Amino acid sequence: MASLILTAALAVVAVAALMATWQLLRGPDTPTRAASMDVLTSILLPLIVGLAVKSGRGIYIDVSMVYALLSFLGVLSLARYFDRGL
Amino acid sequence: MILIDIFVGAIMLAAAAAAMWVRNLVSAVILVGVVSLAASFIFLRLGAPDVAMTEAAIGSALSTVIFLIVVRRTESHEKGPEVQR
Repeated sequence: MASLILTAALAVVAVAALMATWQLLRGPDTPTRAASMDVLTSILLPLIVGLAVKSGRGIYIDVSMVYALLSFLGVLSLARYFDRGL
Repeated sequence: MILIDIFVGAIMLAAAAAAMWVRNLVSAVILVGVVSLAASFIFLRLGAPDVAMTEAAIGSALSTVIFLIVVRRTESHEKGPEVQR
């Protein structure tokens, strides 16, 4: 039962990643692409954590934490670029 | 399980192709960041978590900042209708 729920959650996350990728590829302007990159970064974290639970590897949680701590830098520099230039 | 790897690999390929085709430099920088994001996940799934951590730190965070600084510094030298912010 728990494995079924976990598989369903991973499927939902994969659908969310698909929609964010669609917006990233067809986005008419650059800020749309920046926002969809932020969404993709946030979607990859539950994907990694779900795989950590599913495969039983604790090191995936560490990678996910490092990723969550560092992933804001790219979007922050992009926002600074759009605002007044880096 | 292998379906997720194939899915993330497909996202990586699509972002790489779009980074070649797009005519906007900042959009290309964003798409290269997505390629680095997916590469980090692929490294993790192939059994190298330390390489995935380094890729997340360097490729996704630092190289985006450096590419944006380079685009900002060199765009005054670019002439032509195809290069725009």
